[in-house]
Amino acid sequence: MTGRAADRDASAVSPRARRALRRFLTNPLALVGTVVLGVVTCCALAPDVVAPHDPEWVAYVGTGDGRLTLAQSRSLPHPPAFGDPFFAPLGTTASGHGVFTELVYGARTALLVGLAAALLSSLVGVPLGLCSGYYGGWVDEAIQRVVDVLYGVPFLPFVIVLVAIRGASTTTVVLAIAATSWLNNCVVVRGTTLSLVRRTYVDAARAAGLPAHRIVARHVLPDVLPVAAVLLVQDAATAILAHATLAYLGLADVTTASWGVLLQQVQATGHVFDAPWWLLPPGLAIASLVAAFYYVGHAVEDVTGAD
Amino acid sequence: MVRVTRVGAAYLVRRLAVAYATLLVVMTLLFVLLRAMPGSFVSAMTTPGMTTAQLARLEAAWGVHDPLWVQYGRFLLNYQTGQFGWSPTMHAPVADVLARRLPRTLVLFGAALLACYVVGPLVGMVLGWYRDARGGTLALAVSLFVYATPVFWVAWLLVWLFDHRLGWLPSANMVTQFPAFAPAPLPVALDFLRHLALPLLSVAAVGWVGAALLVRPAMRDAMRADYVDLARAKGLRERTVLFKHAGRNALVPVTTSAAIALAFLVDGAVVTETVFSWPGMGRLIVTAVLDRDYPLAQAAFFLVAVVVVVVRLCLDVVYTYLDPRISLGGRDE
Repeated sequence: MTGRAADRDASAVSPRARRALRRFLTNPLALVGTVVLGVVTCCALAPDVVAPHDPEWVAYVGTGDGRLTLAQSRSLPHPPAFGDPFFAPLGTTASGHGVFTELVYGARTALLVGLAAALLSSLVGVPLGLCSGYYGGWVDEAIQRVVDVLYGVPFLPFVIVLVAIRGASTTTVVLAIAATSWLNNCVVVRGTTLSLVRRTYVDAARAAGLPAHRIVARHVLPDVLPVAAVLLVQDAATAILAHATLAYLGLADVTTASWGVLLQQVQATGHVFDAPWWLLPPGLAIASLVAAFYYVGHAVEDVTGAD
Repeated sequence: MVRVTRVGAAYLVRRLAVAYATLLVVMTLLFVLLRAMPGSFVSAMTTPGMTTAQLARLEAAWGVHDPLWVQYGRFLLNYQTGQFGWSPTMHAPVADVLARRLPRTLVLFGAALLACYVVGPLVGMVLGWYRDARGGTLALAVSLFVYATPVFWVAWLLVWLFDHRLGWLPSANMVTQFPAFAPAPLPVALDFLRHLALPLLSVAAVGWVGAALLVRPAMRDAMRADYVDLARAKGLRERTVLFKHAGRNALVPVTTSAAIALAFLVDGAVVTETVFSWPGMGRLIVTAVLDRDYPLAQAAFFLVAVVVVVVRLCLDVVYTYLDPRISLGGRDE
């Protein structure tokens, strides 16, 4: 969309866009957020390059001819341990997997859940909000009453029931999160659209006889996009947190590596108090990624004035 | 005197209709969702040794084989007349279980809400006041990071520190299981408060940021107002200007966005109660769903929805009374 906007009106838009980009990049929050997002994206795209082992690697097993000493086999399943003995930079989990390796491989799930849920809720919420705000009347009434009603459905209990039905696949979790997070998008976009529709340039476009979809796409949507971008980023953040929470409750797919599942295993194996190298990194990773999304959202708000 | 003319009868009727429709939708959702769940409604009541005749009798008693619309109609009727059925895992009427569980959740989360909404706005005022100062961005970054941490993880860290490491506070259940003290009111109350401390602390540790983030942008507008300049010109202390003059006016968005807090609390209830074995509604929903105790899960979910809907209804009506610019649904147009 920005590409098309730039083509249409290159002389007016690009200095503004360049200025906005500069303000974004000099914003310390944006910088930190972008760096964290970059690191996580690298881990998600090429975990095998970043991680010291592949996800199947287990401490002890596979060394030499695979034969274990008596002491080693007696200690299986291996107690979580910290440090270099197994060449696991952050130590190992109770099942002998490297914590750092699990972290790197979990990045993909976190990013995927965040982005997929956010995109889905934007795809539903933004068009409905645009319609609601632009057409008004019974369209607005209908959409807003649906939103009002759905706001009354408690989110986490709903997701728990949904996941219990459809099984704890990542797709279900994403769908469940998006099913509730689009509401906020719809309400906020509607509010912005309402204030935009009263502007004179929209009146002018209407007087010029442009069809509604063209007015919305060309004259309303560009000014809604910054707001939608902020919402997108916030949705991604809440989705990642919600996924971690579901994993803690035992409602996430345990076969895919994810930070929430990693945390849940700490508790399931009873090592909350004696394996800080295992307990702390996944929590910090979740918080960093979620905070990175928040930071970028705040920076976008600052730059575009979409407070 | 109080004028009630601002909240028109038409508005009230419309708001009540939305609330009722919400509950109908929640009931329908529940009906559809719970029948789509694995196993039938009676699966939690069966034991492997049951004969087919016993199974058939059980299923007939629960009306599992009736047409769906009959079941749906009966379900709607029962729920609206307060008949929630029997819980097979608790061996008690569902209504009794809920009546015992709900107050416990309300106590914990009433206290948590209070804590969040005392600390949050104060921090938000300071954050907004020093927005452009050197430490302002750092403080915002730290607040956002706190807001980004999973609640259950923070709870574990607090349990580790206060229970495992220092041994100051208990981290499970609502009261001591086999108390060594006499069952007098004061020791029991103190015991309860000690058990309340850690769950409360972990919800509040993350929850205050939500309120702070609402106040912070509002502070910017308040700081530009003439009355702030006037207060400064009068020679009032900076702190007085911050909290008494600018801060008070920045509180408006907090009061009108309690619905967000409500959502946070419902989600927080599920997680925090699970971490601390707090025998409330949140934990009930999780265990009921996992144990396939469908009558109980269904009613617990419904009750949470009722609480949410009723609180939202009251809030909306109160806000419309306080501020006529706010329209249906608590949004400012």
